[in-house]
Amino acid sequence: MTFVKNPEILSLPYYTFRTLLRITVTLGISIAWGVSFGILASTNKTASMVLVPFIDLLQSVPILGYFPAVLILLVSLFQGSELAIELSAILLLFTSMAWAIFFGVVGAVKGIPVNVIESAQSFGLKGSKYVRHVILPAIVPALVSGATLAWCDGWFFMIAAEYIEYAGTTYWVPGLGSFLAKAAYVYGDINLSAVLLVLITATVVYINFLTWHRLMERATAGTYKPVLKLDLSGVGQLGVIKAIGPRGWLHLGNHVHWPKSLTAASHRLRKYTRLEKAIALTLALVLVFSIVYIVAAQVSLDLIKQGLSSYPADELVNLPSYIALTMGRLGVAYVISLSVALGMGIMAAEHKKFAAVFYPIYDIGQAVPILALFPVLFIALSRAFGGILGLEMTSIIMLVLDMIWYMFLNIVSAIKNIPSEIREVGKLFGFKGLKRITHVVIPCILPAIVTGSILSWGTGWNTIIFSEYMPYGANTIYLDPTMINQTYAVGHVFPVSINVSDVAGLHTWQTQAYFNSTHLQCINVSEGRFLTDAGKTQFDPGMINNTSGSVGPINSTLIENGQGMNGSGQLTMIYFRVINLGNSEISLSEPPKMLDSSLRIIPASKVYSLPGLGSYLDKTGYLYGNTILLILLLGIIAAIVLSMEALVWRRLLRKFEKYHAEV
Amino acid sequence: MPVLEIEDVTKTFQTEKSQISVLEHVSFPVDKNEFVCLVGPSGCGKSTLLRIIAGLEKADSGQILFHGQLQTSPNPKITMIFQLFGLLPWKTALDNVEVPLEVLGMKKDTREEVAKGYLRMVGLEGFENTYPHDLSGGMKQRVGIARALALQPEVLLMDEPFSSLDELTAKTLRTQVLEIWRDPSIPTNTLVMVSHNVEEAVYMADRVIVMSPRPGRIIGEVKVDLPRPRVKYLRDSKYFNRIDDVVAILEKGKQQIEAES
Repeated sequence: MTFVKNPEILSLPYYTFRTLLRITVTLGISIAWGVSFGILASTNKTASMVLVPFIDLLQSVPILGYFPAVLILLVSLFQGSELAIELSAILLLFTSMAWAIFFGVVGAVKGIPVNVIESAQSFGLKGSKYVRHVILPAIVPALVSGATLAWCDGWFFMIAAEYIEYAGTTYWVPGLGSFLAKAAYVYGDINLSAVLLVLITATVVYINFLTWHRLMERATAGTYKPVLKLDLSGVGQLGVIKAIGPRGWLHLGNHVHWPKSLTAASHRLRKYTRLEKAIALTLALVLVFSIVYIVAAQVSLDLIKQGLSSYPADELVNLPSYIALTMGRLGVAYVISLSVALGMGIMAAEHKKFAAVFYPIYDIGQAVPILALFPVLFIALSRAFGGILGLEMTSIIMLVLDMIWYMFLNIVSAIKNIPSEIREVGKLFGFKGLKRITHVVIPCILPAIVTGSILSWGTGWNTIIFSEYMPYGANTIYLDPTMINQTYAVGHVFPVSINVSDVAGLHTWQTQAYFNSTHLQCINVSEGRFLTDAGKTQFDPGMINNTSGSVGPINSTLIENGQGMNGSGQLTMIYFRVINLGNSEISLSEPPKMLDSSLRIIPASKVYSLPGLGSYLDKTGYLYGNTILLILLLGIIAAIVLSMEALVWRRLLRKFEKYHAEV
Repeated sequence: MPVLEIEDVTKTFQTEKSQISVLEHVSFPVDKNEFVCLVGPSGCGKSTLLRIIAGLEKADSGQILFHGQLQTSPNPKITMIFQLFGLLPWKTALDNVEVPLEVLGMKKDTREEVAKGYLRMVGLEGFENTYPHDLSGGMKQRVGIARALALQPEVLLMDEPFSSLDELTAKTLRTQVLEIWRDPSIPTNTLVMVSHNVEEAVYMADRVIVMSPRPGRIIGEVKVDLPRPRVKYLRDSKYFNRIDDVVAILEKGKQQIEAES
């Protein structure tokens, strides 16, 4: 292994601090929000009717999908300052962290036993006293477990939040995630990326052991324990299970079992009276109409039309095949995760020796931020198998790694919770080996498998958005390095070449160069041969400013060739004269712009992309910034997620629920 | 020769921090056609003892002999019914009765016929395709009884079989179990029941074995010599005297433990 010294390595402590600070601040915000809104939603019926379905809906949209829209809104609001990027990073983290806490709190408050509530009421506890003496103690364990999960979720999304490529521009905030992203995407340094990944994992494990494990022990000790059990097994909403999802497994997994009914709306509606249903329906209609009104009246129809006619809307015809491909990937990963998790889960729950080896691996494995694993895995696999095949494999592996924890967690806890009488019946009547597994174990854990499936698909959608599309490598427009790392005498005239590499269908390009005007003077700009080889061009050298030290915008457009130019070559040559001794940097505007013959943006860095809904969404959001189309695609994903839940999972659950209610 | 011999059984459970001794040197025989009931305070190890007899748990020392043969693992000739019925909720009443027969290797047609026969015997004709979910507690326990009897065991172990039922249902089922026991056409003729209900024990059993609080030891035995059927003696002083005998032994055991500690 050879290490290339990276200048940023010295900033590592600072980056670590920034990331820790960012996640901690977001955790604080999430707790404040989760506790206040959680208590509100669980004690106030009206608030719950509005809040819970709304949050359910938000949950079903993959976070990474709507991120570009949030980013661009904030960037335009704060005029591109770093604060905007920091805020959008925090917002992304918040949307990934807050749900766990919110649903944990809701579950805990709803799980307070009726006799406790009644005795509190009979002693006249009301208002703030009631909150302080009854509600707060009851939510402490759920809060700790929710915060643990939120913390892990924060690390999971950190790399996506800290480093964003949007419409050809890279936005990043200092932190471990952005450093890892740069190490992988910009420097392509696999050793550095791997080291950073290990460092991040170690940090997560270290902090987990230092804080959360201890807090968890304290919170679950003694008085709160029964309440905790109630809150975890009592209310069975998707959110609650998610709140006690994979990463809080060690402490809570044993209680995660057989949720009564998974999602929310229909189950809740079943319990409501007609009047309440009518109110809920009216509210929903008002909400839908106001959204339609706002969209129709505020966003002009032209804007929608424009959104649906500009790039990459032309690819909409491929949507069915994109959906099929993405669902295929998710399906393959799901089947692999299910079978491996089932095997491992049965082994771990039934054989103590296997468990003794497996659990420590599990413990470390679940602390690896999977999104951060992506670049490292991709570099390794793409070197071995080539870009596209490497990405396909990376994508499936990522999905499996992400989905499997949810499946495994649910399966193990379900097996451990098989009632002792059922176990004894199995033993008494001589079920052994495979017969025991097919007749006793698997039927017993079917509801848990469904729960695990819902969670895995949910998290899978997030991961696939991240993993079908891979901007990779250095910028494709660059200064010829052999020409800039040179020493010249005063009065000497030298050229600097701006080159392009591995470009496809280049039709138009534009860039701007900067230099130090006390040392250098620009004297001429001429076009290179790359584009002129394809046909006649219209070249504009831009303005030479020898006071501030800039030249450009230099641009060139093909006026004859409709196909554009492929390959690598020289775009332009800039001539400088040395006027004073000293060091001068020459740099290019960030980022250079390239268009193809249909005026589509060509990514400034190399992109590997698998055809699918995830990469389409990425292109729409991150490359072209087509918000209208992005909203449409997010709607499609939400529709797929919700209909799968309604048509497949909820039906299965209702069926199993009936036959498992006894146990 | 007795059907069952429980010989010097001792059992200790290991927890993270301590050892809990649940059974100490328990010995007694059970004869053919006998109905023995174990009573004792909660946690005295009587259910554990039943599980050791069934082969579900292993004794630390001591042994169980069935017709003089060492009994260490579950045996179809000794079956059990459970307090919470132990039905597989994802199988119908019929399937629940059939499954143990399938494990024994009985053909589909035969075992279906056998299972239907036993369900009919316990009065569940017409409920063959009902899932446990839709059955009442009493009906579930009937499925449990049919499942146990379908194996044609000699010994039937019962772990507080009536304690999770309402009193009226329990009464009916007690009578039904006694009828099955007395029926010469049914091979199941030796019963061992665990109960904490002294009246129930005296009403049903030939012999009531009384156990001490943890660690469980046998501290007394009451022979119930009331003629059967005993329904007509339920207001008789002989019945109450036997109950008093059992309660007196229980009280003594409790005082002894208190004095020791």
